[in-house]
Amino acid sequence: MSDWAEPRDFKEWAKRVFGLRPILTLILVSSIFILELRFDWMERILGTYLVTTNSERPESGAIWEKSHQTRTAQQTLEQILTDRQTLQREARSAATFTQIAANVTPGKGVMLSADHFRQLYLRLAPSFAYEVISPFDLLGIVNDGRWRRTYFEKSDAGLMIYLLDANNRVLRQLELGSMQLSQLKRGEMALAESLDELSIFKNRVYSADRFFNALEAFPEDVRRSMVPQPETLLEIPGQIMRVGISDETQSGFIELGFEFLNGTERRVVLVQGHEWAVWRLRSNLEGLDMDNASSQGGNQNEPRKLQ
Amino acid sequence: MSLFADRLRRISILLYAGMTLTGLGALLAIGLFFIAVRDLPRVPEPLGRIIETPPTEIFAATGERLMIIGGREVVPLNRISPFFIQAMIATEDHRFWEHHGLDKLRTLKALWITLFEPGRIQGASTITQQLAKNLFFSYRRTYMRKFRELLVALQIETRYSKREILEAYLNQIPFGVGAYGIEQAARAFFGKPALELNLAESALLASLPKSPTRYNPYRYFERAKKRQQLVLARMRAVGYATVEETEAAFQAPLQLMSQRAGTSKGSYFLDLVLNDLEERYGPEVVYHGGLKVSTTLDPQQQAWAIESLQNGLVKLDRLMGISDKDNTGDAKSLSHPQGALVAVECNSGAVKALVGGRDYSETEFNRAVESNRLPGSGFKPFLYYAAFEKLSLTPANVFVDKQITVPVIGASDWTPKNFGREHEGPMILKRALMKSVNAIAAQLVERAGPDAVIDVARRSGIKSPLTSVYSVALGTSGVSPLEMATAFSTFATGGIRHEPFWIRRVEDPLGRVLEEQIVRGQRSLDAGIGYQVVDMMRGVLTTGTGKVVRRMGFDLPAAGKTGTSDDFRDAWFTGFTPTLSVSVWVGYDRGMSMRDVNRIGITGGRGAAPIWTEFMIKATSGEPPREFTIPSDIHFETVDPVSGEIAVQLTSNGVKVALRSGQTVNSAPDESGTVKSEQFITEKAGQSTVKEASKSTTEAENNSAIIEEDLPPE
Repeated sequence: MSDWAEPRDFKEWAKRVFGLRPILTLILVSSIFILELRFDWMERILGTYLVTTNSERPESGAIWEKSHQTRTAQQTLEQILTDRQTLQREARSAATFTQIAANVTPGKGVMLSADHFRQLYLRLAPSFAYEVISPFDLLGIVNDGRWRRTYFEKSDAGLMIYLLDANNRVLRQLELGSMQLSQLKRGEMALAESLDELSIFKNRVYSADRFFNALEAFPEDVRRSMVPQPETLLEIPGQIMRVGISDETQSGFIELGFEFLNGTERRVVLVQGHEWAVWRLRSNLEGLDMDNASSQGGNQNEPRKLQ
Repeated sequence: MSLFADRLRRISILLYAGMTLTGLGALLAIGLFFIAVRDLPRVPEPLGRIIETPPTEIFAATGERLMIIGGREVVPLNRISPFFIQAMIATEDHRFWEHHGLDKLRTLKALWITLFEPGRIQGASTITQQLAKNLFFSYRRTYMRKFRELLVALQIETRYSKREILEAYLNQIPFGVGAYGIEQAARAFFGKPALELNLAESALLASLPKSPTRYNPYRYFERAKKRQQLVLARMRAVGYATVEETEAAFQAPLQLMSQRAGTSKGSYFLDLVLNDLEERYGPEVVYHGGLKVSTTLDPQQQAWAIESLQNGLVKLDRLMGISDKDNTGDAKSLSHPQGALVAVECNSGAVKALVGGRDYSETEFNRAVESNRLPGSGFKPFLYYAAFEKLSLTPANVFVDKQITVPVIGASDWTPKNFGREHEGPMILKRALMKSVNAIAAQLVERAGPDAVIDVARRSGIKSPLTSVYSVALGTSGVSPLEMATAFSTFATGGIRHEPFWIRRVEDPLGRVLEEQIVRGQRSLDAGIGYQVVDMMRGVLTTGTGKVVRRMGFDLPAAGKTGTSDDFRDAWFTGFTPTLSVSVWVGYDRGMSMRDVNRIGITGGRGAAPIWTEFMIKATSGEPPREFTIPSDIHFETVDPVSGEIAVQLTSNGVKVALRSGQTVNSAPDESGTVKSEQFITEKAGQSTVKEASKSTTEAENNSAIIEEDLPPE
């Protein structure tokens, strides 16, 4: 390769300037520029490169920050909703008021339908149901037609229950204090436990046969006063094993406990009889066999079949 | 020849130097590229993801959307006016359809101007570059930022079509007044969808993204018009419009939406809602979670509330001789009296309207909720309730209006004054409340004790700190209009207190309920005693300090109480119908005295009651008259307002009073005309000192007289 030497005259300059190599170089460079201006190939190459490396690059910048905030917000909302739905699900599956009371925490209440409340209410023994709301009052509210939902909320002392209309206005506010809740708990437990665990029947538990034999001795109207709604007992699956009569009187009524055996499951259903009629029945029972009117009741192997 | 050769030689040196520099520049660019690309942000795919953030929406009780936060109202290109698309392209990037993210000619020109014309900076960002900047980069101007912005623009151009890019751009650009994207902007400025924008409107909107604040047509209309003209000129130059079309567009009147209706409707209310939501869920969820919030606001009542308050304040300005010319903005908010109005639904506590000041755009301080102003005699209903409850008094009991001094242990004696500094002698308690007689109120609080008054106020719904001093009964502890409206609604409902609320329901973006308001009431006042106070407050509107209400034509059954604090610093009127409780406050933020041009003080009856009345006339228009529920243990007697005895038939000034079971009034004056009311008999008329004042109160009493108006209203 020879060293570069300065051209000596114009001719040589012209030869060098308009030679093949410079012209080709000029054409090449010009083409590059013109093609770039015309077809944006440089931008396209860079753009294509960036597209291929896009997934490896960080999620940074304003739009991604916003996206992260949105994701965090959605996660927070999801958590709130999950907690709420869990609470609602547990409340919906609760079979008793005390189970609901156990689920609600301060500031986190649960909403149930009016029908669901009625179902829970109807499961209560009448005497315990009165602790929640008088059936007559509830009947009035049902007939009013505005009651849609029921909201349960933890209060300082127990459980607040709001019967709501479609606009969430409170139609009736019920408060169950801790004492009432414990009574309810006892009553609700009685529905699934033995008569022996209920102190109110401590001294007067009779075998089913003995009870119904005594009952048969009375005319129909008196029997109706002793067991006002025998149809409710017919709805309970299983056989009545024993019947307990409470010693306590409440507003002219006395509690009767019917212990059902369904397979291996025992359950007690409470019914309120008129005081005067139950007293007559009890006298009859004790007159029939005073010796057997004990806390142990009759023979558990002598069931009376109802179904 | 040698000269020519020398020139050629120099040219060739320059040429080679240029080529070398170009090569070096290319190498530098490549190096720069790899440096810049290292932490270049990832571009979301698809591009539409940029608008995925669900908006948080706040709705009125009617379902009308009041506010949208975050998110975008995305519209496809075919739902955007072609005028606007052309205006944007002509103004921002007229070679948009031709380049690949970089307008080289424009860039070179801009570079030339920036380098060689000192003081001038020429922008050359294409629409794609602007999109890249808006999506990923800060507004800090650096060369590296510009370069990275360019790289992202190149990637966007390679990956997406021009239509996709344009659509993404038009749906996210800021237009000011809280509007992002053309659909929101079209609705905010012109109250129509983006598709319906005409040429003039399109040109105005296209002028805003350059500087939404500088060209805000609400604030700088002339400047915005000039910019609109420039946009039209660009459209003409690019060939999108003819001279005639652009001239016609420039001359066309612009029907801008009222800024209040478009962007600030219920802004004080919305602030309240947003603050509440932030407290419950945190700012991240509120601004990025896409909540759907149903509120209690009634947009029509809100509009009336704003209108009534502003009208009232303008009248007050005139009354006080305050000129509007010299002051704007912050200065105006300080030199003009402010006001607040709150309307609460009585049987639920739902806030139907709330205005926290004269103009939200001037001052965002929410006086309806956050201020703590002295209610003056507006507090007396709590005192009278306490007196009836604790002292078994009746509205027919007679007390003597006289100068009174209550000794206070550990402080100077308390000597409240009547408004007119005059005393009327004996009168029944109903009349004393209607006339807002401080001397009798002082006797009542002295006997019932301040704690009894505070207890009633608390049970009614007042939550602000209240000082246990005698003067609390005359309103010397600050409260907010929201509290007053709520507390008075407890009287309206016969003693059932409802907590005020403004959020009815909150849902997530999928409509799943996060929370809902349970409308619960709690009996906190006795219905019978409460009705007695309501009956007395009705008298305030007929012949008492609030009679301007009836004079202005509001004739539905209603009750209320005026209030004016010391030296006319606060003027209140709080009143209610059986369905709506409304409190109005006016006063200076800095607590200056309000006086008219004749130096006569502005009272609640003059300053606040007319605003209340104007609002109530509108808010209850078309409603049938509905009476307050009268409890079963209430019966009425007409008594003489001075003696408290049953009024002789045909006595014109007999006053009907509400009495509870077992409460009676004297049947008639005896022949000598001596009034036999126990209270009157035991009090000596004229100046006296109450010696049996309770000695248990040790706090310093506010010795300043709280005065109540007895002036005829305006």
